[in-house]
Amino acid sequence: MVSSNTTAQDRARSDASVPRYSTRIATVINSALYRHTLGAAVESRIGRVILLAGVPLIWLIMLHVGPIYQMLKISLLSHYPVQPGMESHFTLDNYAIFFRESLYFTPLIKSFIFATAATAVTLIVVYPVAYYVAKVVKPQGRSRALLLLLVPFWAGELIRTFSVIMLLANRGAVNVLLREVGLIDRPIPMLYTSFSLGFGLVYLICLYMLLPLYSAIEKIPSPLLDAAADLGAGPFTRFRRIILPLSRDGIVSGCCLVFLTCIGVFATPMLLGGPTTVLFPETISGFFHGASDKWPVGAAFALIMLVTALAAAAIFMRLVGGRKKRAI
Amino acid sequence: MSEKLVTNRRTALKLLGTGAAILTAPYIIRPRPAWADNGILNVTTYDKFLPQEFIDKFQKDTGIEVRVRLTDDQGKQYNLLTAEGANPSTDIVTVAGHRYSQFIDSKLLQPLDTGRISNWKNLNSAYQDAPWARINGNLWGLPILAGYEGLARNVDYVKDAPSWEIMFDEQYKGQTSYIVSDFMTITMQYLGHDGDFVTYTDKPEEAQKATNEARDFLIKHKDMVRKYYDAGSEVQQMFINEDIYLAHSWSGPAAKLIIDGHPIKLSVPKEGTFGFCYTLNVVNNAPNAENAYKLLDAILANPEVGAAMTRQSGYSSTINGVGDLLNERERLASTLPQEEVDRIIFFSSVNRDMKNEMIDRATAEVKAA
Amino acid sequence: MRAMFSDAPRVTLAAFYWAFILYLLLPLTLMMAMSFKDANFVAFPIGDWTFDWYGEVMQDKQFLEACLYSIMIAAATTLAATILGVWISMLIVAEGIRGQVIIFALACLPAVVPGMISAISLRIFISTIDMPTGTAAIILGHTVHAVPFVVVMALTRLRSMPGNLVDAARDLGADSVVAFFRVTLPYLGPALFGGMIFCVLLSIDDFVRTFFLGGYRLTLPMLIFAKVQGGMSPEINAMATLVLVVTAAVGLYAEHLTRRARTR
Repeated sequence: MVSSNTTAQDRARSDASVPRYSTRIATVINSALYRHTLGAAVESRIGRVILLAGVPLIWLIMLHVGPIYQMLKISLLSHYPVQPGMESHFTLDNYAIFFRESLYFTPLIKSFIFATAATAVTLIVVYPVAYYVAKVVKPQGRSRALLLLLVPFWAGELIRTFSVIMLLANRGAVNVLLREVGLIDRPIPMLYTSFSLGFGLVYLICLYMLLPLYSAIEKIPSPLLDAAADLGAGPFTRFRRIILPLSRDGIVSGCCLVFLTCIGVFATPMLLGGPTTVLFPETISGFFHGASDKWPVGAAFALIMLVTALAAAAIFMRLVGGRKKRAI
Repeated sequence: MSEKLVTNRRTALKLLGTGAAILTAPYIIRPRPAWADNGILNVTTYDKFLPQEFIDKFQKDTGIEVRVRLTDDQGKQYNLLTAEGANPSTDIVTVAGHRYSQFIDSKLLQPLDTGRISNWKNLNSAYQDAPWARINGNLWGLPILAGYEGLARNVDYVKDAPSWEIMFDEQYKGQTSYIVSDFMTITMQYLGHDGDFVTYTDKPEEAQKATNEARDFLIKHKDMVRKYYDAGSEVQQMFINEDIYLAHSWSGPAAKLIIDGHPIKLSVPKEGTFGFCYTLNVVNNAPNAENAYKLLDAILANPEVGAAMTRQSGYSSTINGVGDLLNERERLASTLPQEEVDRIIFFSSVNRDMKNEMIDRATAEVKAA
Repeated sequence: MRAMFSDAPRVTLAAFYWAFILYLLLPLTLMMAMSFKDANFVAFPIGDWTFDWYGEVMQDKQFLEACLYSIMIAAATTLAATILGVWISMLIVAEGIRGQVIIFALACLPAVVPGMISAISLRIFISTIDMPTGTAAIILGHTVHAVPFVVVMALTRLRSMPGNLVDAARDLGADSVVAFFRVTLPYLGPALFGGMIFCVLLSIDDFVRTFFLGGYRLTLPMLIFAKVQGGMSPEINAMATLVLVVTAAVGLYAEHLTRRARTR
């Protein structure tokens, strides 16, 4: 199914005299350049490891760790940026502030609760949609059904946030409609509450759940489901025994993306929150945004958030996702 | 079928790759940053502050190429300059009043040499050498717009608002909004303290006590608040959508609503408020300081620029002759009765560290409460 | 009998799907309608309708330039992030390499860091490696941000990919590189597609990193943020509507082309 058998049966090796690959790939594989570089490298285990791990590790260490390392350095300084005439020395105080005061602890807890709830809601809402597109819609209509779901995301985060405001405001569409119909005579304040923040957040990030789920459900073999149905398994049994376990990877990935994005999120979705929905990223941004800027404290807090969020995600993956490895 | 799909995808990838490579090549190859060239001027400012016709004319007259980077927020501008350190990528920044001394303390600006601006006389005399503008013996920027922190109200629902007290009136529960840090200082004024910390120099205990009192007051009345906002566009939208009837607002965003004909009024309550100026400032170590002065001079020579800034921001212009270019509504929106004008105190420049430290801390506490 | 059992969920699912589409589209419909409002601020009711905002946007050279620049950056970001992301995820699922959890955590780092902090640290970072700000730096910053999303997407399929697929290919004589291109990459299919969508969206939506890493060319979000600062005007809605309509049209056309290619 994946690649046609004739090509796979051909042996490339160094046997250049019999090039039997039917596609252009053969030209590449049989060229001297390939055979003496990549081709030679993959012959040995060491070569394969370098080929596989080299670029990713360099990238990860340079660009994922590098900037964070800058932040770590800053978070251990008493002052940054250092003004002429002032001295900055090593200190752990910026971290101590977090553990000393419940003031900063509460928003972090709130952030975790909020992100977990948002993840759960998104999963429950999006799963049936992903399943519908991946398995119920006929293959010809699938890309169109998917496209319809994608279109709204091209408007941009800020615009979509403002659209939600237009919908939920006191003079927004919902309230205007309810008033026209005569159901209410005073607008219901829906905006700037946990409800609007949740509504908006799910609205903004559901794609991060949808696509992983779709990609995982799509690969479940349909004949398997038909066979189960033939054997008398009802829809619920089929879901519990086949679909759910086989889409586990999608659930894990989707939840991870949504959870991590929710934890780190501030700015745009915060436009929808109210006075009681202050989350941790907003606290952090206060250190960078306030009039007395305190980069070291902000950096320390960001690192605390980073470590806890990643730890939570890793634990979740360990618990839910089985691990499977393949040979190099 | 699968084979077809694979081929399609591969073709698409190939196309994408080639396209991207061709598009990016010139930028990656370009050897050195373009903003270091002579004959260039880099300005960081707000959208529509510098009208295109003005820039075109300036470029033609001087041969200097003007590059404008639009900003939307003072914090980002400050953090960017700070991160860039000794090699700033911009020559002129637009600084709001409450950030003025922070930029100066962080050594991000260079002192302004008014002798190099021949049109300095076109600046309204009240701003030519204002006490708030002079820090460490120097002037640091060209004031372009003046504003204040006002009490904005929807006149359909709130007839009169003579005192800040109305922000705590149970009648308007859940219908007010403010920027926490700014309103904290106003609340200190309202409670009879010094919200600008000028008199608290070397008296940290007294300052802390006053700040805590304002903080506790705001926490106690937290249920009055619909939302703590940050950006002017937020407060505008909340008024338009009738999510709020009352707000502490900088004069610009509220004035824009008034100009546009919304039932909004802006006043200075009897307890007083704070005023500030937006300034154009030459950045410390600016690569093209010479050109920056030419632009400042050209701005003062052309009241059209001041008018554009007022129309875009809602603040009053500090430049002579701008008033004549505005229509009646635009003029009225930014005009206050004299007795209210007298209640405005400009932000001072002394004891900033103590003020910022205490207010930021109290702000976090109010938000987390 | 069976038809009855299998039809009920089918109909429910379809209804759910359309309800979800409605949820996605309703706010945007309001947004689009607002672009025709004849006033300086968006609000209900719309009252007077006008096409003027579109005229203004079409004449705005800045807008068109910003769109093209954003598309260019998004394309480059997508290409780089997809390659790197797939590569990293291959490393994560590989057997015989230790510390996969750590590699995974490292790969996810940039997704959790709040934008402002990531932007500042990248800005300091590029100056320590003497890289000028500008297009290349923006692409670099966007790629760092997008890689975790590609990795997580690729893992949705890689982690449960039947190992025997690759083994079979290898038994048939394909070396690891060939097996990757002929077997693994095609198997990734929809995951890769999703990852690329994320790359484009993250890049096109990014404001803070662009502001810190960019030069003096405007990207679309920079333009929109700067406009919003002056008040939420229908002009911004008109811009967003144009972007939306054009991308939807391009998407439909591309879908139409692939469908034709497939049925041929």
